[in-house]
Amino acid sequence: MEAVSQQIPLEHFLVLSAILFSIGVYGVLTRRNAVLILMSVELMLNAASINMVAFAAYASPAAFTGIIFAIFIITIAAAEVGLALAIILRIFRNRGTANVDEVDALKW
Amino acid sequence: MGMTDAWVLPLLPAAAFVVLALFGPYLPRKGDWLAVLAIGSVFVLTLLIVADFTDALALQGEDFAGVTNSIQWMEVPGYLELNFGVHVDAITIVMLVVVSFVAFMVQVYSLGYMKGDARYGWYYAVISLFVASMLALVLADNFLLLYFSWELVGLCSYLLIGHYSHLRSAAEASKKAFITTRLGDVGLLIAIILLWRETGTMNIQGVIAAAEAGEVGREILTASVVLLFLGAMGKSAQFPFHVWLPDAMEGPTPVSALIHAATMVVAGVYLVARLLPLFELVAGGTELVLAIGLVTTIMSATMGLVMTDIKRVIAYSTLNSLGLMFVALGVGSPAAAMLYLFTHAFFKALLFLGAGSVIHATERQDVSGLGGLFSKMPLTGVTFAIGALSMAGLPFLAGFWAKDEILVALLENKIAFAFVLLTLPLTAMYMMRVFVLTFLGEPKEPEAQEHAHEGPPTMAVPLVLLAVLTLVTGFVVFDQVGRAMGFPGGIGEVIYLYGPHAFEFNVAVTLGSIALVAAGLGGGWYAWVVRPQLPASVMARLQPVHALLVNAYYLDALYQAIIDRVVLAGARVIAWFDRNVVNDTGIDGPAYTTGFAAYLMKFQQTGKLPNYALAMVIGIVALALVAFSLKA
Repeated sequence: MEAVSQQIPLEHFLVLSAILFSIGVYGVLTRRNAVLILMSVELMLNAASINMVAFAAYASPAAFTGIIFAIFIITIAAAEVGLALAIILRIFRNRGTANVDEVDALKW
Repeated sequence: MGMTDAWVLPLLPAAAFVVLALFGPYLPRKGDWLAVLAIGSVFVLTLLIVADFTDALALQGEDFAGVTNSIQWMEVPGYLELNFGVHVDAITIVMLVVVSFVAFMVQVYSLGYMKGDARYGWYYAVISLFVASMLALVLADNFLLLYFSWELVGLCSYLLIGHYSHLRSAAEASKKAFITTRLGDVGLLIAIILLWRETGTMNIQGVIAAAEAGEVGREILTASVVLLFLGAMGKSAQFPFHVWLPDAMEGPTPVSALIHAATMVVAGVYLVARLLPLFELVAGGTELVLAIGLVTTIMSATMGLVMTDIKRVIAYSTLNSLGLMFVALGVGSPAAAMLYLFTHAFFKALLFLGAGSVIHATERQDVSGLGGLFSKMPLTGVTFAIGALSMAGLPFLAGFWAKDEILVALLENKIAFAFVLLTLPLTAMYMMRVFVLTFLGEPKEPEAQEHAHEGPPTMAVPLVLLAVLTLVTGFVVFDQVGRAMGFPGGIGEVIYLYGPHAFEFNVAVTLGSIALVAAGLGGGWYAWVVRPQLPASVMARLQPVHALLVNAYYLDALYQAIIDRVVLAGARVIAWFDRNVVNDTGIDGPAYTTGFAAYLMKFQQTGKLPNYALAMVIGIVALALVAFSLKA
């Protein structure tokens, strides 16, 4: 069986990753609900992961560097979600909303 | 204990100061015994050093130029080398004996005089610090250490004049003394820096040697000598800086005896005597010293006649004596000046301590409230009389020999000689006056004297010892006495090594001065005992003169006017500049600008998460565009 790198060009992966990332950015900028923003952030992280894995496969198939990066990103994303959801939960308990534009006490 | 170990001397009272300042309140008797013990040991060690000195003198004769013991303090190779150390020679020995003995007597006396004072422990701490600084001043072998000590004695003088700090007059007097002497001290500092720049050394002997070798430019040398003398004038209260000394009498009387009669105020005389070779190198250098000394002597002698405060009269007599010492230095006779300094220390301390006894007993120090004390306080009366007669210059008392020595030295300068002769009867007269008004006649305020009595032994013993010394110290001028004390060739050969000079008596001068002194004493007796109404009528007739003298030649008023009109006007301009330019524009300006910018900027902080996120995205996109465009 041929390696992925010989069947699909690298650009496809990069375009997929860019689209995914842009969707994530759009979600972060337009959603008001903190949970949805968090989900959009996950999309952005996954876009980065795809980039890492794709480059790893094409640039240095023998090394695991890019794949290890992807695993780190997944781990950190999991930790981040745990933390962020806890914060969102606290905000919701305290203020009765999870809409980020209503939580604006931290200013002048 | 040899001469090279002399550095120990200042350390003892300095250690006493540290202990007293830190732990004084917890020590029994507030630690006064520690201070007295320290200065007592200094006195004993001084005697050992004197013995070592006379041995060296006997061994090496007149070639003996002193012993130096110094350590390197810091070095910047090729640029600066600073040593700290002590230099012991004849002039140092004289000062050491004076300082340690008078300080010892005064500290013992203070045990009685200051008893019950609210700040008793602090008094002893500061006076220990003073003794340490004064010893360091006379021992210093370099200008830097000398200047440190010079400032330290000034500080102690300030602290002790203001000892009764609850009195406004004492607080003002201490400020006046500090600021007035400060004016001269700045001159001293500039002179030291100038000399260091020219010669590259801080060592006093080194600077003198370099100047004598012609290594110092003439203008620089002239400037430094004048500035040095400015320092000496400030510390020794010479005209026009003399105004601080009479006011300094606000301090406790033992302080006046130690600092403002016997030791600190003669530091200027010591400085000029030590650096006299520099003054002689400069055209007009010694003449300046002579002129200032003469003016001070005459002014103070006339003012002493009309002052009514017993301590102030003695303060003016101190000015009188200091002026005389400068006159002697000015005619190039440091031996006479140092001899006067030596004897003056004893009889002037005696006078002040006697006045202290009177004040202690009656709580009055204006002669208008005294009188008739002799029967109640015979010991104080007799010792005070000895001091007063010595100050007047009656034969065979300490002051007589030194004063005649100065007169002989003055013979070649007719004008100065005439002026000094003029002051002799005046001095005798006001000493007689203050004695008569204090001790003789009827008590003017009898109720103040009901409980007047002699002080405790701690006060009486120093009086007696100083009186004995006043009686005998003058005799050191004889060769035989000098030799018996271990000074070959008499003390004149020793007391000042730069200009060894045997004591000569000029019979005509001596008889003349005795006649003048006798006339002064007789005139004083006549005016204040035989015809007590006479002074008042003379005063009434010479009202303008009397007013002039009582107001100290209106110099205080003049200085006050200068301060008000010139100094304060200048200060107001500077204050305006400081308030408007420095503060309002320079400091507040940037502060308000920053504040306003922050006010404008703060509205960018909405607190809304999407705004921040959008800003981040825009920022990253912009950065990416910049990066791509640069790459392309």
